[in-house]
Amino acid sequence: METRYILKKDHLAPWLRRVAKSHRVVAPVKNRHGDTLYAEIDGLDKVELDLAGQPQASAKSFFLPQQEVLFTYRTGKGGYEFHEPATPAPATVYFGLRSCDLSAILYTDVVFMGRHKDPGYRRRREGAILISIACHQPHPNCFCHATKSGPFLEFGYDLQFTDLGTRFLVEAGRSRGETLISQWRPFFSEAAEEDVKLQYQLALEANGLFRRNVDVGCAVRKLAEGEVAEGIWRELADRCQDCGGCAYLCPTCTCFTIRDEKLGPEHGERLRCWDACTLEGFSRMAGGHNPVAREQHALKRRFQHKLRDDVHKHGRPSCVGCGRCVGICFGGVDIVGFIDRLSEEDLP
Amino acid sequence: MSDCGCRKGNEQAENDKNGGNSYLPWPARIEAISEENSQIKTFVLAFSGDKRQQDYRYLPGQFLMVSVPHCGEAPISISSTPTRPGSVHLSVRRAGLLTNAMHGLAVGDTVGLRGPYGRPFPLETFRGKDLLFVAGGIGLAPLRSVINHALDSEHDGRIEILYGSRSPEDIAFKADIATWEATPKVSCRLTVDVASPGWEGEVGVVTRLLPQVDLDPKTSVALVCGPPLMIRFVMAELSRMGYSDERIITTMERHMKCGLGACGHCHMDDRLVCVDGPVFSLAELRGRDVVELRDKP
Ligand SMILES: Cc1cc2nc3c(=O)[nH]c(=O)nc-3n(C[C@H](O)[C@H](O)[C@H](O)COP(=O)(O)OP(=O)(O)OC[C@H]3O[C@@H](n4cnc5c(N)ncnc54)[C@H](O)[C@@H]3O)c2cc1C
Ligand code: SF4
Ligand code: SF4
Ligand code: FES
Repeated sequence: METRYILKKDHLAPWLRRVAKSHRVVAPVKNRHGDTLYAEIDGLDKVELDLAGQPQASAKSFFLPQQEVLFTYRTGKGGYEFHEPATPAPATVYFGLRSCDLSAILYTDVVFMGRHKDPGYRRRREGAILISIACHQPHPNCFCHATKSGPFLEFGYDLQFTDLGTRFLVEAGRSRGETLISQWRPFFSEAAEEDVKLQYQLALEANGLFRRNVDVGCAVRKLAEGEVAEGIWRELADRCQDCGGCAYLCPTCTCFTIRDEKLGPEHGERLRCWDACTLEGFSRMAGGHNPVAREQHALKRRFQHKLRDDVHKHGRPSCVGCGRCVGICFGGVDIVGFIDRLSEEDLP
Repeated sequence: MSDCGCRKGNEQAENDKNGGNSYLPWPARIEAISEENSQIKTFVLAFSGDKRQQDYRYLPGQFLMVSVPHCGEAPISISSTPTRPGSVHLSVRRAGLLTNAMHGLAVGDTVGLRGPYGRPFPLETFRGKDLLFVAGGIGLAPLRSVINHALDSEHDGRIEILYGSRSPEDIAFKADIATWEATPKVSCRLTVDVASPGWEGEVGVVTRLLPQVDLDPKTSVALVCGPPLMIRFVMAELSRMGYSDERIITTMERHMKCGLGACGHCHMDDRLVCVDGPVFSLAELRGRDVVELRDKP
């Protein structure tokens, strides 16, 4: 069995300060507008950590930046050269990741470190230590219990923190997490049996606190069996406003586009930017032919990919139940609405 | 899906620049350009670095991502055959920004190439079978690679080629066609949508040539490439003639940005055309949501 530790809350800041001497630290921070976002911390005393709220955006952009230079090029006089940018990825401790956001990183690992080895993603990911915080107060739109990606994690983390009131229970899942403890061992004590029991209790209670009951299994089954009526796709497409917001915000949406930015007559850079499969031009080809009729299928690819194709490929849906797209969709056609729609069909 | 996939994986790793940044193109010099028709040019390309050119491996049906300065990248099928090493050919039709810019390039200019990508034609299954090629327009480009590969490797079956063009002036790859016509076990039939004075050949869509084909559907394989509508009609007709779904093979065109199975653009139902295809048998397409198979595209 893995060792569990206790970190007293007064020891959190001193410990993180030590960690920050050798690592970049990213954590959820409440900014002056009251928004909570994952942010790089320079100076723990200058920021307000928010370990209770759900950050408005996931940690996706730290691994897959919204825009990234793949390389620069030079051209002219018949020549054409390509130069890799020297972008080091500093060793980074991600502290206070929500379980859903950490699960999402495990999924993006499959896309960018599986068959295709993405150089930039790999650089950033290999230097990353992931520390999650278990949720015992799910947020209004959360449904990670239904996607099995939270609120408490059983694997995938380097360290998992659970708030026990005056102290944190700390579980080490991987050796990199273990190292962060052994290096500063005096801050930690061994957890007692009642600490572990309390965590178990909190996890049980958390599962009962979800306000949304989303029948992911029903949607997965209906998609696998091809039981989703064309009319439903058409209605979703009708209401989707082609903004791409759901995909940009989604921690497991990874589609991107590549384009050149001309910086002068003889040089420029090749950029990779986030893209969204819901957008009109996503699959359109030269000459205007589009194999995906958007007026019927704007959201089909997104939902089928998450709830059918990834289940088929990886054994689980790639929606991690963070609920962020629920808040952002002003057409009212987010993934929860879709899943509810399918499960309501079965009601008498 | 097929065992070709693995081979492709190895070749790709071999060809990858130092096994490093998979997005980084390799410069290639334009050695020659031939004008196939007013819209299509074939570029003969050689990698800078003799060693790389020598070691370069690909198979018919695979494609390259081509970079042209300031224009980004486009997927283009390799139209040459690996049996003729020393250069790779890309036959490019003017379609928009990048392809038009490429038509403006001259011998001695440089483009960027990465790849080869995609699953090639299942050449090893063609042994001993007759081959029927049905192409429309630029669709002959990837099939040219297979046809010349078959000829160079002394394919032990007959070869029939049906090729449709818009007009006699639009017939591309005329030099290849002349060679094919002069080869004993090859027969080549052309048709045009619109005739012009002096044209004495067939007029009409390429499916009209199918009844003239003298091959047994039970012992031959049909390879189809062209515009989506043509693919649909030809595949339907081949099925009617008795070709089984496994014996009808096509190559799909989709929007592509990476060629690596990551960007998502080339999705076709649950498949990514850049890695699972672009070559598919009709058996692999059946039951999937594929516009080329739909009655009302
Ligand atoms: C596997 C494969 C093999 C191909 N082989 C050939 C070939 O041998 N010869 C040939 O002439 N053409 C081929 N094409 C089509 C060629 O890729 C497009 O004509 C080209 O991308 C158009 O780019 P453009 O900038 O000139 O056109 P624009 O209209 O200016 O740009 C079209 C936009 O769509 C994007 N796009 C991405 N994929 C495609 C696509 N498949 N078709 C059209 N647009 C696309 C482009 O990146 C660009 O953003 C092939 C396509 C695929 C997928
Ligand atoms: S689909 Fe919505 S709920 Fe699911 S992971 Fe993406 S943003 Fe979160
Ligand atoms: S979805 Fe789950 S893990 Fe994510 S914030 Fe909500 S309760 Fe926590
Ligand atoms: S072209 Fe990017 S996934 Fe196929």
